[in-house]
Amino acid sequence: MNTSTVQIIILIIHYLFLIYTVTVITSYIILAVLSSYETIEYFRKNSFVNYKEIISSSIAPSISIIAPAYNESLNIIENVRSLLSSHYANYDVIIVNDGSKDDSLEKLIKAYDLVSVEYLVNEQIATKPLREGIFKSTNPAFEKLIIVDKENGGKSDALNFGLNISTSNYVACIDVDCLLLEDALQKMIKPFLEATDYKVIATGGVIRIANSCVIKDGNLHDINFPKKIIEKAQILEYLRSFLLGRMAWSRLNGLLVISGAFGLFDRKIAVDIGGYDINTVGEDMEIIVRMRRQMEEEGKKYKVAYIPDPLCWTEAPDNYKILISQRNRWTRGTIETLRKHRKIGLNSKYGYLGMISFPYWFIFERMAPVIEVIGMIYFAILIALKGVRWDYALAFFVVAYLFTIIFSLVAIFSEELTYHQYKKKGTGFKLILTALIEPFTLHPFILYAAIRGNFDYFFNKKKKWGQMTRKGLS
Amino acid sequence: MNDFQFLIDYFNGEPFIIQLVWVAIFVLFLIVIILIIYLKLLRNHLRENERIVLKYSKKNELLLITFLYAEVEDGGISSEQEIVINKLKRGIKNTFKREIIISTLLKLKNEISGEMAESIQNLYFQINLKSYALVKLKNKKWYIIAKGIRELTLFQVKEAHDEVLKHIDHPKKEVRKEVQLYLVNLFNFEGLIFLNQLKTQLSEWDQIQLLEELQKFENQEIPDITSWLKSTNDSVVIFALKLAKIYNKFEMKDVLIDLIKHKSEKVRLELIPVLSYLQVDDAKGVLKHTFNESSKYEKIEFFKLLENLADDNDELFIIEHIHHENFEIKFSALKTLKNINNNKFNNLEIKPSDIAYSKIVKFLKNN
Repeated sequence: MNTSTVQIIILIIHYLFLIYTVTVITSYIILAVLSSYETIEYFRKNSFVNYKEIISSSIAPSISIIAPAYNESLNIIENVRSLLSSHYANYDVIIVNDGSKDDSLEKLIKAYDLVSVEYLVNEQIATKPLREGIFKSTNPAFEKLIIVDKENGGKSDALNFGLNISTSNYVACIDVDCLLLEDALQKMIKPFLEATDYKVIATGGVIRIANSCVIKDGNLHDINFPKKIIEKAQILEYLRSFLLGRMAWSRLNGLLVISGAFGLFDRKIAVDIGGYDINTVGEDMEIIVRMRRQMEEEGKKYKVAYIPDPLCWTEAPDNYKILISQRNRWTRGTIETLRKHRKIGLNSKYGYLGMISFPYWFIFERMAPVIEVIGMIYFAILIALKGVRWDYALAFFVVAYLFTIIFSLVAIFSEELTYHQYKKKGTGFKLILTALIEPFTLHPFILYAAIRGNFDYFFNKKKKWGQMTRKGLS
Repeated sequence: MNDFQFLIDYFNGEPFIIQLVWVAIFVLFLIVIILIIYLKLLRNHLRENERIVLKYSKKNELLLITFLYAEVEDGGISSEQEIVINKLKRGIKNTFKREIIISTLLKLKNEISGEMAESIQNLYFQINLKSYALVKLKNKKWYIIAKGIRELTLFQVKEAHDEVLKHIDHPKKEVRKEVQLYLVNLFNFEGLIFLNQLKTQLSEWDQIQLLEELQKFENQEIPDITSWLKSTNDSVVIFALKLAKIYNKFEMKDVLIDLIKHKSEKVRLELIPVLSYLQVDDAKGVLKHTFNESSKYEKIEFFKLLENLADDNDELFIIEHIHHENFEIKFSALKTLKNINNNKFNNLEIKPSDIAYSKIVKFLKNN
C-alpha cells in the first residue's frame, strides 16, 4: 500500500467516526425535543384527572403485582408491606420465593400468618416446580397476599410462575425491593383503559433512585440527594434515560424496553407469547420486543406506553464492583435480545419497529461502547505513530464534553420543571457538579462494564446474573 | 493583547472544520453558562413559588373556615362572611391567586359534604368564579377548556349546560370526556343523552368514570337502554351492557340474546358475563350454536356462564369438552359437571395422558 492509499483509509476512518458522532448528537437533540413535547402533553392531559373513581370502582380491572424474591430475607417483610399499601382496590400481590436459601419464607409465614393452601396452577408457561407450595394469609388484612415457594429457576422463571397463577387482567412485574408509591397502579393502568382504537400491551414507569432517601413503613418520607459520587452520577444518568430518552421513544411508540424493576403488562398477551424468556439475562427487554414482534406479525395496532411520574424507587449500586456487574448483565441482555430478534432489524414488515427503533437500538445502544473503544484504540495507535494533531483532538474532546454536559443539564431542567423532586437547597449545585464530573466518574466504568459484557457474552457463556448485595431502603 | 492575537491567528490558520468546532465550543460553552445560571434562578423561583402557594393556600383555608363556621344572619350572609367574600373577590383579580383559591375550594369541596359543601358552592358563586370558568370555555387551548368544564362540574353550574355542550364533539378526547362527565354529574341519567349521537369511542376509563358518577345517585329512574344496546358505536353497546348488569335490566334479555351474534368480539366478550349475571338461560342454546365459530376467549366466557347456569340438559355438551385443550375450559367443564351431576363426576375415568385433566379432577374432588 502506498502512502496516499493509507491516507485515504485514515481519512475514511476519520469521517466514519465523525458521521457517527454527529448522528449520535443529532439523535439526542431530536429525542430531547420530542421528550419535551411528550412531557408537556402528559402534564396537560393529567393535570385534571380524577383518579379517585378508578381506585374505588368495583368494575376497575384487576391487577396482580408479581414480585420474585431470592434471598431477600433482610427486607422482605417491609418490602411486602410496601407492596400491600397500594390505594388501588382491585389488586393482589404474588410474591414468588424463587428457591431462596435464606429464611425468607419462614419470616413471611410468621409475619403474615401464612398457611399452605391447595392451589390449582394452570401451567400455561413451563416453570420449575413448587417447593413448599402456595401460601395465603389467615389474617383478613392480608387477603390480597399470595406467597409462592418454588424451586430456584431465576427471575424469569419466577415471573412466569406468577403469570401462571394470576387471574387478573393485568400484571405488574416488579422487583421485590422496589418501593412502589401508593398511587402507582392507578396511574399505570390509565393508558390501558384509555386506548380505544389500538391496544396498549405494556406500560413502563420511571425508576427513581432511593439511596439516601428516608423510607418509613414502606412509604417514601424524605427525598435526599446521596453523598457518594457513584450514586449521584446514577441519579443523573437515570434522569437522562427516563425523562429524556424513554419519554421521546414513548412519543414515537418505539420503546424497546420497560425496566424490569417496574412494568405493567396485559396478562393475556404476556401469557400468549409464552411469558418471560428464561434463557436471557435481559428478560425485561426481550419480552417487550417479543410482544411487539407478535403484534406486528398479527398486524394489530398497539402501543407500549410510558409514565414519567416518579412511582417506583429502587436502590442503585453504591460501589463500582456491583455497578459493573449490573451493567455487564444489561449489556449481555441487550445483545441476546437483539440477536434473538435480528429478523426485525431493517425489515419493513415490522414497520417503525423494524426500520427505526431496532436499528437505532443496535447502532446507538448496542454498538456504542464497541465503537467508543475502537475509537480509543485507534487514537492510541495514532499517538504511538505520532499522528495526532493535538489541537484538533482537544477541540473535538471539548465539544463532546460540552455537549454531554448540556444534555445532562437539559435532563435536570426536565426534572425541575416537572417533578422537582430534589427540592433541598444546595442540591441544584450538586446536580450541576455531578453533570460536570459524571463523564469521568461514571462513564468509564459503564464503558468498561459494557466491554466486559461483550466479552462475557461471546467467551464466557456460563456467566448469568451476578450478585446484587442490598443494604435495604431505610 | 499578544495572547489574544495569537488565538485569532491560530483560529484563522485552522481548516474550516476546526474553525467550526471552535465556534461550536464557544456557543456550547455559552449555553452551559446560561443553563447553569437559569437553573439556579429556576430553582429559586420554584422554591419561592411553592412557599407562596403554601402560604396563600393556608390563608385561604383559614378564610374558608371562617366563612363556613360564621353565624348566618337573617339576610343569609353574616358580616364575617361578607369580609371573607370581599377578601377573596380582591384575590381573584390576580390570575395566580385565583388559581390557588379555586384549588383550595376544590380541595375542600372534595373533603366535605352536606351543608358545608353547599356553602362552599355558594361561595364559589358569590365571588363570581363561575364567570372565570365560563371564560375558560372560550379559550383556544384545549386543556384550559377541559379545566373550565371540570370546575363547572365540581361546582354544579347547571346554567353552563349550553356552553359546555358546544364542546361535545371537540377534537380532543380529554375535552369530550369532561363534557360527558359534566352532563352525567349534573343531569344524571338524562345526561347520558349524548350516547345517542356519540361518534367517537368511549374508552374503558371514561366508562368507569361515568358509571361511578351514576352510582352516586340513588332512586333515579333508569332510562330505556335498548337504543344504546343497538347502537352502531361498539363502545356505546359495551357501556349499555355494563348499565344492564349494574341496574339488573333483565327485561332487556331479548335484546341481549340478539347481541350474541354481534360483529364485534369485544362486545360479545362483554355480553357473556352479563348474560350469566342476569341468568338469561335462553342464551345458552344460541351460545352453544355459535360455540365452534367463537374465539378462545368467548369459549372460556361461555363455560364460565355454564358454571352459573348449566342444568341437566347441558350435561352432554359439557362432557364433550372435559378434555378440551384449553385448561380454563377443561376446568369449567369439570367443575360444572361436578355441580350438576356429582355421581358422574366421581366416576370419571382418569386419563394419565391428560395431566391437566387429572390435576383438575383431583383438585375438584378435594375442594
